[in-house]
Amino acid sequence: MSKWTAAIRKRLEGLKIPPEREAEIIDELASHLQDRYEELTAEGATAEEAYRRSIEEVNYTDLLEELPATVRMGPGPTIPAGAAKSGSFFADLIIDLRYAARMLRKTPGFTAVAALTLALGIGANTAVFTIIDTLLLNPLPVEKISELVALNSTQAKKTEQSGDLQGISYLNFKDVRDRSHAFSSLAADTNPLAITMVATAEPHRVFMEVVTGNYFETLGIHPCLGRFFLPSEDTTPGTAPVVVLGYAAWQGRFGGDPNILGRTIKLNNTPFTIIGVGPKGFKGLYAVFGPDLWVPSMMAEQVLPAGQGKALSDRSIAVFNGVGRLAPGVTLPHAQAEAAIVATSLEKEYPDSNQGKAIMLRPLREAAYGPERQPLRFGGGLLMAIVGFVLLIACSNVANLLLARASARRQEIAVRLALGAGRGRLIRQLLTESVLLGLLGGILGFLMGYGGSRLLWSLRPAEFALNLAELRMNGSVFVFALVAAILTGLIFGIVPALRSSRTSVSEVLKEETRSAGASRSRVSLANTLLAAQVAVSLVLLVVAALFLRSIQREYTIDPGFETKRLALFMLYPGQAGYDRTRTEEFYKQARERIATVPGISSLTWASNMPLWERKDTGVVIEGQEQRRKSEEVSAVVNTVDLDYFSTLGIRFVEGRDFTLEDGDISTPVAIINDTMAATYWPKQDPIGKRLQLPNGKKFLQIVGVVKTTNYQTLGEPPQSCLYIPLRQNYSDSMVLYVRTERDPSTIFPAVQGEIRNLDSALPVEDMRTGTKIIEQALWGAKIGVGLLGVFGLLALGLAAVGLYGIMAYSVNQRRREIGVRMALGAGQGSVSLLVLRQGMTVVLSGMAIGVLLALLLGRVLARFLYGVSGGDLVSLGTAALVLLGVAFVACYLPARSASRVDPLVALRQS
Amino acid sequence: MESSVEHEWKKGSAELLILSLVEDQPRHGYDIGKLIERRSEGKLHFHVASLYPLLYRLENRGWIQGRWVEKPNQRRRRYYRLTGQGQKVLAQQRRSWRQFVDAVGRVTGVEHV
Repeated sequence: MSKWTAAIRKRLEGLKIPPEREAEIIDELASHLQDRYEELTAEGATAEEAYRRSIEEVNYTDLLEELPATVRMGPGPTIPAGAAKSGSFFADLIIDLRYAARMLRKTPGFTAVAALTLALGIGANTAVFTIIDTLLLNPLPVEKISELVALNSTQAKKTEQSGDLQGISYLNFKDVRDRSHAFSSLAADTNPLAITMVATAEPHRVFMEVVTGNYFETLGIHPCLGRFFLPSEDTTPGTAPVVVLGYAAWQGRFGGDPNILGRTIKLNNTPFTIIGVGPKGFKGLYAVFGPDLWVPSMMAEQVLPAGQGKALSDRSIAVFNGVGRLAPGVTLPHAQAEAAIVATSLEKEYPDSNQGKAIMLRPLREAAYGPERQPLRFGGGLLMAIVGFVLLIACSNVANLLLARASARRQEIAVRLALGAGRGRLIRQLLTESVLLGLLGGILGFLMGYGGSRLLWSLRPAEFALNLAELRMNGSVFVFALVAAILTGLIFGIVPALRSSRTSVSEVLKEETRSAGASRSRVSLANTLLAAQVAVSLVLLVVAALFLRSIQREYTIDPGFETKRLALFMLYPGQAGYDRTRTEEFYKQARERIATVPGISSLTWASNMPLWERKDTGVVIEGQEQRRKSEEVSAVVNTVDLDYFSTLGIRFVEGRDFTLEDGDISTPVAIINDTMAATYWPKQDPIGKRLQLPNGKKFLQIVGVVKTTNYQTLGEPPQSCLYIPLRQNYSDSMVLYVRTERDPSTIFPAVQGEIRNLDSALPVEDMRTGTKIIEQALWGAKIGVGLLGVFGLLALGLAAVGLYGIMAYSVNQRRREIGVRMALGAGQGSVSLLVLRQGMTVVLSGMAIGVLLALLLGRVLARFLYGVSGGDLVSLGTAALVLLGVAFVACYLPARSASRVDPLVALRQS
Repeated sequence: MESSVEHEWKKGSAELLILSLVEDQPRHGYDIGKLIERRSEGKLHFHVASLYPLLYRLENRGWIQGRWVEKPNQRRRRYYRLTGQGQKVLAQQRRSWRQFVDAVGRVTGVEHV
């Protein structure tokens, strides 16, 4: 015996099991070999031969592999009957993955449909997430955005009209910077401002921001080329004619020229040297719209529009926004408290310009959107919720597919259970399969999402493409898609896996393949999923319909001025180096010459673009000056030339238009709208009353009252507006309004030509028709509605496919029953009806839930809708009808095929 | 590497074979291997490297129990006997196997005797 023991021990060296157990196993194997040896010698083999054969017949490598597993499992009945062969976790995983891949390959149709369904769901999610990630989660590519705060001034006492955030003047900003300790660095920038750039021959309208020298350093970003501003370029006004280009502008306007540094360009007729290019993706701090270039604050006078030229020395010109990095350990409330103290002392020292002003700090992440933040967040949240539901529908569809397939695989699963596979192990295997499927859908979906978000982004207005935020597909999007894919796989896989593995071995093996009874419960689960799908689809369709109707209404909104026969040209004569006299001469000459262009019925100048109008706070109304202490009057202020009201078709309520008599030396006059009249002179005649512009020196006499129009958004609540005549109020950049007799775009070239004839140094790039203005105002809403529609239809399509699949499956399951019914005399019609009724019951119960949900959701959405109530019956009805129609078709097809069951064939099959 | 179904298939039937052999009397490993070979007329053959690990597994699950026994005029050997739980499993596996073979027979048209 001992000869065997030693030989085996030698061959099983490195067997990792407890020594007692090892000794026992070796004893047993030795006993086996002795038996074999004796048998061989009995058969006549020599002792040597028998010994050699006995030893060599054993595959020791296999034994070494197999034995540890049998020991590691431990004894006792705690291991479920039929527990699986358990190798290491990863070995099992690889086996499972291979097996799963083979199963998926074996049923290519199922795999394709399931993966595609998931891809649509995951793709929609990825696309929306990409946009949300770009716009909301990581809006600015700056260092540690959580430490950065935006600093603005605001009214100390907020009223409904004047709660808006305002800029801060350069001098105030400097005082805050010098007196507070909460910031490790405090910088300032202006909003993007239009400026005329001459790089080669042609002048171009571009956007710039005036920033303090420490701006880039505060944000912690680094130039992609060259350098940013030096401290020495931030000390003496007018001495630093240098400029930093934005990356997109460098690429788009200078072809990415690597030798760009040192080149001179003219901005507003002043030569500037390009010293650097900003990092890729950085477009200023206003996340929606960014500048093409940055100019140091010391050059403010050269580049800011007339009236803001003294921005560096006049405390009342508040064109800057502060941005600061909090010093280590300083919190926002702490910094805010300190800023309040500084604001109070500034108010005392400079009451003229600072009375009633407070300083407001906000996290930069919040400030990055200005007023667009709320709608963006709402829109983003809504879209994310919607695509989330689309994904859930996709999941439940695939779950249904898996359930249907699971019954086809019952036999396979039962055999595996019978052969000793454990339930946990089976579930793991099935989940591996569904996660693999999820990943497959995830990869496809990621690609679809990438394409989709690109496509979506390409729809943004082309004229501002360089200035709008760029879409970033970064790591977080990938992680999102991956997590979505794995979660999806688990979600749609878990129920079918649990169900399948509960399969009772003996029942299934006894059961004949076509028996229907046992699959009742899985049909009812499928029905529940289907009803939920129908409900969610209906809700999505209703939401899409509501917004579609709302935007339709918005298109028919009367903005209060002519749009169809209106052409607009933005001109900045001041930026071409014109002085006041020459600019005024230009306005006059242009009017005269362009009026001769055929097809033009009237024209005028105005400082504001329709729906992009500027609102000013601090209007003083004579006799109501005490308001100044408590609340300030704010109004849209528009500088207009003669014929403005007739060109735009704005009607007079009373009084007169501006005339040639309203010149430099005559009484300063103004025209107000009826909203302002009713607000500040209720039950009085405003004609002859007087008011003062913010920071104005003289009182203006009201000579006319006109109808209120829309000034900032379509369908906005009425706002106060006041018009002042161009001849009394100089402005160095104006918009030319042309009323035409036919399609306004046809006169673009002629007007452009006339302006070039007057001065070729003036850029006339920005021309729009009135209709385009409306389109642009509705652009965001249109994109939103488009997306809602697409996702709504996607949901409907997925639900229809799911419905069809389940109905077809159930008809197939009941083929025998149907055969019996028909054999017993049921007609084709009654069989169709039976199936149809079964399907439509599910659909109708889903719809009932959907209607309830849609009504509830409608209440929440009501305040985002224009001219449509949240419970709009047309939207609800249309959505319900569409869904009903599609669902009917999806049920009818299987019903028809049921009615064509040949009873003989069906019965013979059993 | 064989697929997990094939693997489980073989393993499953092997379990059934072993459980059946120790049903009426305790047997030692060599005896079990020999009996399988003899009764299947050489069609089934169990290697040492798979037979003993399988025996240990079945033992771990509590379906069979091994015990060293020294019979007169014989060497000390490890005999395996079927446990109560093993009897239940065996009955169930026999049933499943029967049904499985029936099902396969119906599907493939190969009649069994």
